[in-house]
Amino acid sequence: MQRFIAFVVRYKNYITLFALVVMSMAFMSVGNLRQLGGFRAVIVGSVGWIQSLFAWIPNPVALKSENTALRELNLQLAIESARSRQALVENAVLRRMLELPKYTDYKLIAADVSGKTTTQLRNYATINKGTADGVREGMTCITDAGLVGRIIGASEHYAVVQLLLNRDTRVAAKVQRSRIDGIVWWEGETTVALKNVPKSFDVQVGDVVLTSNYSSIFPANIVVGRVTKVEDENQSLFRRVMVEPAVDFSTLEQVYVIDYVPDAERLRLERETEQRMKQRSADS
Amino acid sequence: MSIIFDPSQIERNPALRFVAYGVIAMVLSVLHVVFLRFISVSSVTPDLLLILTVWISLVEGQFVGMFAGFVSGLLFDIVSADVLGSNALAKTAAAFIAGYFWKEGFAMETIGSTKFLIVTAICGFAHNLIYFFFYVKPMQISFPMFFLTYGVATTLYTTVAAVFPMLIINRKKDW
Repeated sequence: MQRFIAFVVRYKNYITLFALVVMSMAFMSVGNLRQLGGFRAVIVGSVGWIQSLFAWIPNPVALKSENTALRELNLQLAIESARSRQALVENAVLRRMLELPKYTDYKLIAADVSGKTTTQLRNYATINKGTADGVREGMTCITDAGLVGRIIGASEHYAVVQLLLNRDTRVAAKVQRSRIDGIVWWEGETTVALKNVPKSFDVQVGDVVLTSNYSSIFPANIVVGRVTKVEDENQSLFRRVMVEPAVDFSTLEQVYVIDYVPDAERLRLERETEQRMKQRSADS
Repeated sequence: MSIIFDPSQIERNPALRFVAYGVIAMVLSVLHVVFLRFISVSSVTPDLLLILTVWISLVEGQFVGMFAGFVSGLLFDIVSADVLGSNALAKTAAAFIAGYFWKEGFAMETIGSTKFLIVTAICGFAHNLIYFFFYVKPMQISFPMFFLTYGVATTLYTTVAAVFPMLIINRKKDW
C-alpha cells in the first residue's frame, strides 16, 4: 500500500494529467446543450444578456468587414441587375426578330454578330454563320428594322458583312411615298445620302426609303431608313437628301441573312452592257 | 480600502488565492466572450484564460496549474457555448507544459521577464494545436492550413497580450 501511495505521489502530475484528459474527453463525447440540461442554457443566456447590454458599442473592425461584404454584395447585385436588363433587351430583340419571318417571302438564316471591324472607313461585321449554314457571298443581311448590308465573304462557319455604313456600299433605293429613285451611299458619320434626286422631285423629311426593284444586289422593298434632311444643292440639279439608317449599327447583335442571291444571268448581262457602253464611249 | 482588501493577504493565503483565481477566471471568461470582439483581428482574439493558466502554473506549480487549466477551460467552454471539454483538454495540456517552467520562489521573476512570453508562446502553440485539432475534426477542412492560419495567429496574439501582465509585474520588481 505504501508503495502504491509512493507511486501515486511520485507520479501524481502524470496521473492527474491522465485523469483530466480522460474527463475532458468524456465531456467532449457528451458535451452538447441538451445533455447538460438547463445549467448551460442559463449560463449561455446570461452571457447573451450581458452581450446585448453592450451591443450598442460599435465595433469598427466588424463594421469595416460588414461594409466590405455589403460593397461586394452590392457589386454582385449590380452585375446581376445589368445581366437581367441585358437579357430583357435581348429577349425583346429576339422576339421582334422571330416575328420577322412572318412578313417576308424569303427564307431567312438567323445569325449572331460575333465581331465588328472598322478599317479606313470600311465597316464590316462578322457573323457566326457560314457556308455550312447556307450563307453565300452576295446575300443580303437584315434585321427587323431594315437593311444591314451584304455578305462579301463566307467561310464554313463565319461570314463577313459589308455594312450599309461602308464607303463601298451602293444601294439602289426609292422613296416609299413618292416612288422617287436614287442611290444610297455612305458619306461618313451615322447617316447615308440618297443621291441623284432631282430638285423638282417630291421628297420630304420623314419619308421612308426602301431598296428599289432596280437593285441587282439587294432584294426590293427592304427598309433602308428615314429621310431626316432635304437640301437643294447650290449649282446642282439635284437635291441633297440625308437618310438616317433604320438599323442602329452601334447595337447590332442579331441579324438575318436573306437566302437570296442576285440573278447571275441578270448581273452578267448588266455587266456586259456596262462594258459595251464604256467601250463605245471610248471609241467615239 | 486597503483594510478591507489587502492584496498581500491573498498572496499569503492559498485558499484566498484560489478563490481569487476563480473570480479572475470567471471575469476573464465573460470579458473574453463579451468584449474581446472589439479587439479581434480577422476573428482572432488573444486567449486571456490561457495567460491566466500559464500564470497559475508558474506560481503554483504543475499540479495546481493543471486543475486550474481544466477548470478555467471548462468554464470557458460553458460560457462560450463551445464543445464542452475541448478548451478544458487544451488548457490542461498547456498548464502541464507550463508547469515544467515552475521554479519555487522565482515565479514573479519568470512572469516579469521575457521568459513569461516564451512560456506563453510554447503553451499557446500546444494549446491551439490540441484545440484546433478537435475544432476542425467535424469539418471538411485541412487541419494544417487551418492551424497555420488561426492557430499560429492566436498564439502570437496571446503572446502579445501576455506582454501586459509581464510589464505590470516587471514594474513592481519587489520579489
